[in-house]
Amino acid sequence: MSDPLLHAHEIAVSFGGVGALAGVDLTVPARSIVGLVGPNGAGKTTLFGVLSGLLSPRSGRVELAGADVTRASPQRRARLGLARTFQRLELFDELTVRDHLVVARRIRERRDRSLLRDLVGLGRRPSPGEDEAVDALLDLLDLGKFANQPVPLVPLGTGRIVELARALATEPRVVLLDEPTSGLDVHETERVATALRAARADRGVAFVLVEHDVELVLQLCDDITVLDFGRVIAHGPPDEIRASADVQAAYLGTAPAQKTPR
Amino acid sequence: MQGYVLAGLVLGSIYAISALGLVLTYSSSRVINFAHGATAYTVAVFFHWLNQVQGWSIPASAAISLLVFSPLLGLALWGILFRHLTHSPPDVRFLATVGLWVALPAGVQLAFPFSQGQILQPQGFATVPVAIYHLSALGVSVNANQVAVLIGGAVVVVGLSALLRATPVGLATRATVDSPRTAAISGINTTMVTAGSWMVGTALAGLAGILLAPILGLSNGEFTLLLVASFAAAVVGRLTSLPLTFLGAMAIGLIQGIAVDFLPSHGVLSTGFRPSVPFIVMLGCLLLYPGLRRERFEVDRRAGARAREVAPPPPLRGWRAAIGPLAVAVALFSVPLWLSTFWVGVVSQGAALAILFLTFTIVTGEGGMLSLCQATLAGIGALTTASLATHSPLFGWLVPNPFSSATGWPIGLAVLAGALVAVPIGLLVASLSLRLGDVYLALATLAFALLIEQLVFARPEFDNFGAGISLGRPIFLGINFNDTSTFFLLLAAIFCVLAVLTVNLRRATTGLVLASMRSSEQAAATIGVRIVRSKLLTFGVSSFIAGLGGALFAITIGRASPDSFEVLIGIVWLAIVASFGTRSVLAALIAGLLFAVVPQLFSEHLPTSWAMVPTLLFGLGAIRLAVNPRGSLFDIQHSVRVLRLRRARRSPTFEGQAPA
Repeated sequence: MSDPLLHAHEIAVSFGGVGALAGVDLTVPARSIVGLVGPNGAGKTTLFGVLSGLLSPRSGRVELAGADVTRASPQRRARLGLARTFQRLELFDELTVRDHLVVARRIRERRDRSLLRDLVGLGRRPSPGEDEAVDALLDLLDLGKFANQPVPLVPLGTGRIVELARALATEPRVVLLDEPTSGLDVHETERVATALRAARADRGVAFVLVEHDVELVLQLCDDITVLDFGRVIAHGPPDEIRASADVQAAYLGTAPAQKTPR
Repeated sequence: MQGYVLAGLVLGSIYAISALGLVLTYSSSRVINFAHGATAYTVAVFFHWLNQVQGWSIPASAAISLLVFSPLLGLALWGILFRHLTHSPPDVRFLATVGLWVALPAGVQLAFPFSQGQILQPQGFATVPVAIYHLSALGVSVNANQVAVLIGGAVVVVGLSALLRATPVGLATRATVDSPRTAAISGINTTMVTAGSWMVGTALAGLAGILLAPILGLSNGEFTLLLVASFAAAVVGRLTSLPLTFLGAMAIGLIQGIAVDFLPSHGVLSTGFRPSVPFIVMLGCLLLYPGLRRERFEVDRRAGARAREVAPPPPLRGWRAAIGPLAVAVALFSVPLWLSTFWVGVVSQGAALAILFLTFTIVTGEGGMLSLCQATLAGIGALTTASLATHSPLFGWLVPNPFSSATGWPIGLAVLAGALVAVPIGLLVASLSLRLGDVYLALATLAFALLIEQLVFARPEFDNFGAGISLGRPIFLGINFNDTSTFFLLLAAIFCVLAVLTVNLRRATTGLVLASMRSSEQAAATIGVRIVRSKLLTFGVSSFIAGLGGALFAITIGRASPDSFEVLIGIVWLAIVASFGTRSVLAALIAGLLFAVVPQLFSEHLPTSWAMVPTLLFGLGAIRLAVNPRGSLFDIQHSVRVLRLRRARRSPTFEGQAPA
């Protein structure tokens, strides 16, 4: 196997003396979907913060395509091919769905540096191939009919797909998805799953998926890491995870860990 | 020495009382009250009125002012304004309280006409003549007003600690401060707690105001200095900690008091040092406090309320989109045809201000940043231009004049130089505070603006006994711009060019990037937006426009005077621009014209006692943002578009476009 695309090594994070992550490893090979599961408070979102650069770890190392990016800013990582979505929608409320993809793509093309061109009025024109690329992405994720709607008007499930589309518009090598189906109904969840599969098949993007819907994770992922209290308690392909006693204990609780009456 | 320490303790106590009120209201409702100084002013004027005009005794006046009037004022302001702001986007929260800061003193001066002039002997808690006690053991003399301050400070600190630590009300308050939602589900009436904290906070502001008046004077300007010192103390307490805020306030007061002992008794440094202490303290905190960084995310997360705004209807496309702007341009350029020379002169001032106001369109409208120093940057541009053009010294240093003209730099080049000088200064202020987030940028720019006002603008070479530096108008390309109409057309042309550039920027990639940053900095960063760089760029452009507009305004009125660019004028500017909308260049134009024309109309047709009405209206306009976050112009455009959509829907050719 070649070098992994994204590799987190021995990550430790603490908030004011409380350990949130302790020595966590995560490996994401190219074109794979890696699941990250665990009960609430296990440290999944914290690990995402470290991977995307919004949090710095106390110790450990993050490598992206062979380069050490542990101290790199989110912007820098984005330009190196790392994108993410947020658990709580972080959409650009003043923009239409289409503009989300346009802005992401133009930043990828470094068009955010062309201030003079923008001032004289040339900045409105799409770059060569931009319209086609954006349309293709809208089609791939089935967003065509929402393209010109402002995002505050789209339903929650569509909003999550817009986040995914925006991430893909940066032409990433790996996308971090933070609970992409939370708050969605069965049909919307299915839409997200279809979109993920399509993006991987079409563009060869790798995904890291934090998700509470265990069935979905078992279905989608090639490889799963289970966190509990900031530690990796299991790691392996879906079948192995399904059978693991530790995972069942973490999720369902064992007899002594049952809630004590007040 | 002991005398200076005493003076410092007195100042520190006043700051502490005011700052504790500020922190109390901020922590219970997450609204930074930029009108805190204005409420202090209001209560102090009311107290003075009761005692001096109505002839009530001091205890009765004090009791009514602090126990009845202040709480009612706080309750009213909370009910009308602050209550609605807790869930507003940060820029609305900021602009609406700035509106109150503009409107409240104007309203007070209308209601109590005696406060329009200078109040020679503001009444404090001590009877006049003020008793003086000599404490021979300590070697100091202390007057009765100072004693009142020290007693007041002690009572407030002890009382507030006792209230918060030892009573059920205090427990409920602390719970609400920690987490309003959790407090609410555990059965605490958080609405009552928040309303109560605004009542107490306003009373504290009022107490500080009454104590301050006899010591430093009862004027809106002095109360702005009080406000900034309180802000600095609150920043020491990270806007939440009462004990740290208290310590910060005492430290600022002591430094200010003791420093007088070591400073020269005359000149700019003696008057300028006092306002620079809050700025330095604030800056030190912003740079050194590691904890402030984390709070930025807290602020950002609450910005989600934006999503509830109504989405704008689709804009016009094609040739139709050009009709409106063309009509405005035609109306603007034809002004000399249908107005007298005098009024063209007035409208010229408005056009120069419109250029200057584009700085707000860019920094706040596009960049989403909250700056209170744009007027100061404009002043820097104006004074630099004037110094160069008249060949007068800047800080005692005569800038070389490489040009053949005998008087100084050619005025066109001087204007450009003035605009360029504003850029690095703006960038410096912004770069120091930007990383910490919106609220701290607003506080730092305010402190900076006051610092420049007291330390630079007050220098005799700029102030020139209030007359400023005279400036001529340019002659170039063979055109003599001394003619009022010609000069107006020049200003109108400059405005149109800048407006087009601004709109270009907004519709281009830069505009998309800025829009993404305004909605979610985190998400923008993860698609590769370099946040700090983009913000600095925007701030730099806005500083340039501020400098340019300031210089042009100075040329229009014929002199560059620091009086034109005071902080308190700058906030009125911001309020009027905001009330029409910071996102629209047309709003900047309307705001500029109204700011010049309305006061002129009032002074010609109405008694002088009405002079504060325009300011009051401008402030109220900004307050209305709490209901209409995008400004009144957007509202009108929105209604027009909705009407158009409805009409279109009735016509048979309409193809079911989704209405907003």
